[in-house]
Amino acid sequence: MPDDIAEVYRNTYPALVRFLYRKVWDAERAEDLAQEAFARALVHRPDNTRGWLFVVAANMARDEARKAAREKRHLTLLKSEPDSTQTAPEEEIDADTQAQRVRAALEQLTPRDREALLLWDAGMSYDEIAAQTGLARGAIGTTLARARRRLVEAYDAGREGGQHVARG
Amino acid sequence: MSHVDEGTLHAYLDGELPPAERAGLEAHLEQCIACKTLLTEERALLERASALLGSTRPTERPAPPFQDVRRAQRRPWYARRTLAWAASLVLAVGLGYYLRDPGDGVRSVPSTPPTVGAAEDRLVRLDSSATAAAPEQVANQPPMARMPAGRRAQERKTDTRAEEAEQNKAARDSTAAGVVALEPRVQLRNATPAPAAATPNRDSAALRLDAAVVMSEAQSGEVAALRGRAVTTQWQIISRGAATTLLGTDPVGLPGLRTRRIRRSPAPDATVVVEQALDSATTIQIFQRPMTEYGYSDRAAREAAPSAAAAAPADRLARFVGRLRVEISGPLTTDSLNKLLEQVEPIP
Repeated sequence: MPDDIAEVYRNTYPALVRFLYRKVWDAERAEDLAQEAFARALVHRPDNTRGWLFVVAANMARDEARKAAREKRHLTLLKSEPDSTQTAPEEEIDADTQAQRVRAALEQLTPRDREALLLWDAGMSYDEIAAQTGLARGAIGTTLARARRRLVEAYDAGREGGQHVARG
Repeated sequence: MSHVDEGTLHAYLDGELPPAERAGLEAHLEQCIACKTLLTEERALLERASALLGSTRPTERPAPPFQDVRRAQRRPWYARRTLAWAASLVLAVGLGYYLRDPGDGVRSVPSTPPTVGAAEDRLVRLDSSATAAAPEQVANQPPMARMPAGRRAQERKTDTRAEEAEQNKAARDSTAAGVVALEPRVQLRNATPAPAAATPNRDSAALRLDAAVVMSEAQSGEVAALRGRAVTTQWQIISRGAATTLLGTDPVGLPGLRTRRIRRSPAPDATVVVEQALDSATTIQIFQRPMTEYGYSDRAAREAAPSAAAAAPADRLARFVGRLRVEISGPLTTDSLNKLLEQVEPIP
């Protein structure tokens, strides 16, 4: 019996947006993808809606990243000057830099470690993470321990490295 | 028992160690200083990793109504952005045409070469400002500022009426300026004041909360800062029924925790705080405020609601539960507050 998707939507939507945001790094796109995932769930009616949503979301984010990389290459060819004319208030720059650093640190994790960490942060249990990643349940603690350590270390290393590391 | 590895400690800290293993580990930690030290280190690591991830939360907006998702075969984001861009281009071209001759306006005879040049110049400027302003500006606004102006005005009107009706009583009751005494009105309608304490569900509370690591207050300057900004006595205590009326829906809190009191903001902005006891010495504050449907508002709304912006410090953890924007505050670590915030639901 499929879950009540409206109920899952109510409970899971913010976590799914957060999960996607840390993959595509664009709040609006993350929301769009999350809604798209729910729209697909309505068509597919999976048994375990929550788990299914995260799998689909992860796939969509990966496709998006590929597409974004392609578009970026095209844009670089087309564009002659960088769009650096916009100015942002102080705190936005700070928040941006902080997000950039965390992003750069996250990208230094192995895909599997990163996935486990993001799933845990999205509120999944060890059982759910195990089902999602194919890791043994007993290995989740170790995976998360390693992921957390690497995240913190990479972040600190990035901060010591100063400005030139800020762009991930 | 031999020494424990990090993985076990993280599972323990995450509240994911099976009960049998957990008991064994706790017995070992009692005796083994090395492992106890390691546990402290791993806890610090876990907290930092959580805080780092927490610092990259997107600005949360209320979920659009589920019917919208159901209804729409959504166009992909890039198509919509292209459309938005195209729309701004059309607008810019239109404006450029309209403004093509500032001297004579639209009545002028077809443009001479210099005015065409000027129009193009304007067109370029208009276009770049229009595209730059479109999606990013909206995304950068704090969600509180997005409440449409109409809705806010409506709320204010309701408040004003209540104020008139209860003016005498309010004048006697309220200690802080600007407090609207809604409570008497609500109690007339809702004769029994709601019970202060929800039925405690100890088991589930213990289970859910074991991930919450309580810190002593002195440990964290950040916590002290949060508390400094927190609720003062000017927030009037209200009944649960009054909170429901004010919010337009049931107030939210942590299931299984005793509700100490519910209070409302001295500002006329329908913010309510539910204060719950985690234990005898620890109170968690859950701030909540109704939002309208999914929709972004413009600058006018932000200007119409300066108190809303002030009441929503950006660094407090926030999420949406139904149509309530919910923020959490308490003498706990960011990670714990994060976890607790995820569990917030309408209280019975």
